Amino acid sequence: MSYEVMVGNKACATGVKLARVKVASAFPITPQTTITEYLSDMYAAGEFDFDFVNVEGELTSQVVVQAATAVGARSFTCTSGPGLLYMHHPMQETASKRLPLVMAVVHRGVKGMQPDHSDLMSQQWQGWIHLYVENAQEILDTCVMAYKIAEDKRIRLPVAFGYDGYVLSYTAEPVEIPAQEEVDKFLPPYKPMPSILPDEADPATFGRGFGDADPQKPWQVHHEAALTAEPVIKEVFAEWAKKFGRSYGNGMIDPYRIDDAEAVLTAMGTIAGSAMSAVDKLRADGKKVGLVKIRSFLPFPRNDFREIAKRIGAFGIIDRSCQPGMGGPTWHQMRSTLYGQPGPQILGFYAGLGGKEVRVDDIIKIGEKTLKAAKGQKVEPLVEWV
Amino acid sequence: MIEIRLHGRGGQGAVTASRILATAAYEEGKYSQAIPMYGTERRGAPLTAYVRIDEKRVRERELVHNPDYSLCMDPLLSTQQAVADSVKPGGVVLLNSPMKPEDSKLAGDIKIATVDATSIALETLGRPITNTAILGAFVKVTGVLKVESINKAILKYYPGRVGEMNIAAVKKSYELVKGPVQAKVKEAPKIEVDLNVGGYGVLKDVSSWRVFTPKVDEAKCTGCKTCWIFCPENALEWGEDKKPHMISRVCKGCGVCANECPVKAIEMVRVEI
Repeated sequence: MSYEVMVGNKACATGVKLARVKVASAFPITPQTTITEYLSDMYAAGEFDFDFVNVEGELTSQVVVQAATAVGARSFTCTSGPGLLYMHHPMQETASKRLPLVMAVVHRGVKGMQPDHSDLMSQQWQGWIHLYVENAQEILDTCVMAYKIAEDKRIRLPVAFGYDGYVLSYTAEPVEIPAQEEVDKFLPPYKPMPSILPDEADPATFGRGFGDADPQKPWQVHHEAALTAEPVIKEVFAEWAKKFGRSYGNGMIDPYRIDDAEAVLTAMGTIAGSAMSAVDKLRADGKKVGLVKIRSFLPFPRNDFREIAKRIGAFGIIDRSCQPGMGGPTWHQMRSTLYGQPGPQILGFYAGLGGKEVRVDDIIKIGEKTLKAAKGQKVEPLVEWV
Repeated sequence: MIEIRLHGRGGQGAVTASRILATAAYEEGKYSQAIPMYGTERRGAPLTAYVRIDEKRVRERELVHNPDYSLCMDPLLSTQQAVADSVKPGGVVLLNSPMKPEDSKLAGDIKIATVDATSIALETLGRPITNTAILGAFVKVTGVLKVESINKAILKYYPGRVGEMNIAAVKKSYELVKGPVQAKVKEAPKIEVDLNVGGYGVLKDVSSWRVFTPKVDEAKCTGCKTCWIFCPENALEWGEDKKPHMISRVCKGCGVCANECPVKAIEMVRVEI
């Protein structure tokens, strides 16, 4: 094991190297671009041998790594904001073909350059697993774990992990780099997988022919696979924690001081880091507020939240994206998760959209309002813009 | 937790300095974080970076709003009150400036230290890259980190000969720094200066970006217009005398004109502070 003070994007490139990726393809867009620059440096220095395919846009980069994964090369791509939107179309195909690809999404908003989660949130229907990451160490660790999750035969789904651009992608902090041999023991070489359903035709097709007259079948199979991802994610994170001594909750959620909490905040990405400081300050004032860092948004940690909901008075949900006319995606997921069980109030907070700085003091106010609701006092409005 | 703010210009290495500080801290067994403030900065534009050093892993992701220390790597920015603003009471402001700390007009409940980092950089590196030349002074004035850890960190970023040159700059600034002394001016003048301006050069005054300024020898100038063609910022006006005249607010001092002049009639002269 060694260490280096490195920026988030270098931690990502290091994770790609440790996962022994064979093929990468990406199109430059700030703040993602330096990932591929770091990969090039590693190649030039003779540290990492892989093939990089230059392309004319994100759509093609997704198609390239899709094909590479299909023929048996562990592959990687990365993008940001509008680049991800341009990748929308082939992303569905990657997931439908059940190709275990891993993609880093360095969050950049779609209404400007600064970060929010609107890019990855807009891809919820593509049938990928969506993980959200808070710090540079977690980027490196998650990158390796993502391959293990994606390549698990029970799910075989592509994984996108997102981390906030600028505030994390360019911030340098100490990162422990596990030894390559240790990572090799954790992540065995990737072997190409056969088509998800056997195709008797000759020549066989990959992904499309379900040999079934029911056109709904591909959706049903896909949905069922996505639903089985939760135990796999938990297993992989538990194994990582055991081998490398760094844990991120149970992989789905990473709770912080919630055991005796009356009110619990939820946040994703870098906001969760600042929220930990906010919780410490609230606790120092005797205010029993906890935090759940949501690590997996898709699948949503329903079972965990149903348990937590039984013992608290209110959730304060921080969303870093908003679907106009619908609202915050986490807030919606939480209400849907807890529907039909008597439980806490669910307050919503929009924060950090368009890259607006989320300060610890902002989160303290969110915590205080949620605590008020938890104590049964009336709070208004139910959902607010911070 | 110790929080540091760094002011500089694109190209002076403020971002690298923040990473060297963060690496040096980790070398001493502490956790750290180096945050660059990214907008549309480029070479010459004022920019800001931040460092946090703590005993435990730093989780905060907001920018540093009330630093314990403020470092300014640029002599012209060092005269701006903004580099001293929002520093914690009793905090230290370290300026790259040839003046004595007692002569600084910066106000507030702050201590001021000065070091002529530009001259040190020109002597040791041959270029006005002041990031390492200010770090030796920082260590001396604040006692936050050890010189050895700074040097160790520098070699990680600049291995070999370049690293050794930078270490020489650190040593020199450690020896030459003056202060810190309590600021004499108590009340800050109410001037709002944004030291992190993005935007486009053509729309704003970039005269403060210059370390060197072009000076035309009109006797040598043949009026061929080569400088006028190559100037990337349209900062040369063609006069009635058929000679180039610099538009002060647009010229960044890049030196392209002097480089392109076929008769070497343009000289880049160090800006007086």
